[in-house]
Amino acid sequence: MVNIMNLSVNIAGVKFANPVTVASGTFSDAWDMKNIKQLGALIPKTVMLNAQAGNPPPRIVETPSGMVNAIGIENDGIDAFITQKLPIYAKMGVPVIVSISGKTDEEFVIMAQKLNACPSVALIELNLSCPNLKHKMLVAQDAEATARIVALVKKVVNKPIIAKLSPNVTSIADIASAAEQAGADAVSMVNTFQAMVIDVEKQKSKIGNFTGGLSGPAIRPIAVNMVYQTAQKIKIPIIGMGGIANADDALQFIMAGATMVAVGTMSFIEPDTALQVLNGIKAYMRAKKINDIRALIGFLK
Amino acid sequence: MKNQFKLKILSNKKITDKLYYLILEPGKLAAQVKPGQFIEVRISDGLEPFFRRPFSVFRCQKSVELFYEVRGKGTEILSAKNKGEVLDVIGPLGTSFSLPSKKVKQVVMIGGGIGVAPFMALSDTLNNKGYELVLLYGGRNKDYTFNMSEFKKNGCKVFVSTDDGSVGVKGKVSVLFNKIKADAERTMIYTCGPRAMMASVQDFAKKHGLKGECSCEEVMACGVGVCLGCVVKTVNGYKTCCKDGPVFRLDEVVF
Repeated sequence: MVNIMNLSVNIAGVKFANPVTVASGTFSDAWDMKNIKQLGALIPKTVMLNAQAGNPPPRIVETPSGMVNAIGIENDGIDAFITQKLPIYAKMGVPVIVSISGKTDEEFVIMAQKLNACPSVALIELNLSCPNLKHKMLVAQDAEATARIVALVKKVVNKPIIAKLSPNVTSIADIASAAEQAGADAVSMVNTFQAMVIDVEKQKSKIGNFTGGLSGPAIRPIAVNMVYQTAQKIKIPIIGMGGIANADDALQFIMAGATMVAVGTMSFIEPDTALQVLNGIKAYMRAKKINDIRALIGFLK
Repeated sequence: MKNQFKLKILSNKKITDKLYYLILEPGKLAAQVKPGQFIEVRISDGLEPFFRRPFSVFRCQKSVELFYEVRGKGTEILSAKNKGEVLDVIGPLGTSFSLPSKKVKQVVMIGGGIGVAPFMALSDTLNNKGYELVLLYGGRNKDYTFNMSEFKKNGCKVFVSTDDGSVGVKGKVSVLFNKIKADAERTMIYTCGPRAMMASVQDFAKKHGLKGECSCEEVMACGVGVCLGCVVKTVNGYKTCCKDGPVFRLDEVVF
């Protein structure tokens, strides 16, 4: 008997061949791109309106089962991205989710409008949660600001909008709910946890930006819980991420309520992690005789 | 990933209390490596230590060889690995040394501590090509010096300094700069080592109008230019050590 397995998922009318993608900031065309075609979607590193040099080094430090980074969104600006990078990603044949971050409400709106005019952009992710940009407060730490920016962008674009949320809040489910009410089509969660590592020998921070964001398997159980708590509160899809290293980790996010999962930091250690996660999910479904991935989404009540 | 290999350890020897010499089977990797390039080694199958560790390739003729300093927990674990164990490596990565122009007569390699590692591969390539090869090596003390016979076999004139004077001339490697012919057309400098040392080489080269290249070292995560974590400050802005480097033009880096 031929067992037809459905791995495809849907976010706001956009169909993805499978639920595995890469987290923004951990993917660019510097990767070996052949494998990427097999994934459900691509999410390149966050772009901003204008080019930005990024933070002074050192920008990264390893920690138990993870890393702290403060890259500071080094990027060439949205126009260079659209003309130089987007055509490369569009050729991969999988939906492209473009992650953007603005310094002001207007910047979010301008960038979203530019991307709305690009046929090869499937969805727009609003990165409301980068912890390394010297703002006093992240947009995603304020339900009102989150809702305001989502609503402003939603008004000017017809592509689906994803709000990328910060775990550095009292209740991420409340922020997700505010994004949903403002019209977000999905949320992606979680960004990094604000963190610091001190070099006691040199008596200073090990990060040039002083503080950074913790990612990697160290944060996974917290991220799974946040996805679970949020899934109880909102109806829009969740893209879950936080230290996914294998299919078991990814399935935890899916069972907690994530429609898609993104592999991030682990790709730095094992470049084929996302592909291994995808193959592992298939093997799991075969072994458990589950024909449709959707049966697993939010399985745990 | 297409440039990821599992290579068996052929030997892993202690040279001094700090320095180790690791030989891996060549696999499909050895033939691809150019002098100055590096590999990223997965130290353990688990998550500790988390990052891969980047190592310059010391030699890549019949095997892949690393000459490394035990500096932290990653290299400590590596130093305990035995013949027959398998290492998961990604490479070759990064830029390589560019070869000297035909006008060049004297090639000076200036290594500080374990920064000497990429110069064996470079001297393997430049040996018998008509250059005067000079190696200036600076180490902290006896633990950072070793038998230079392999460099000498490659035709290098070797000069050593140590901070404490236990081997060679006492002082930083800059005490050996008098071996460099200050001829802008005919001298080419390559340097690798601590920042302060490379800065002194940069100053010397600038003063005498000498061309050169330097090989930088930074903590790396991905090793392929994705994460932008390992940037080096240059006169042309931040550049990734792993992909834009590790070899840069000597006058480009801001030390």
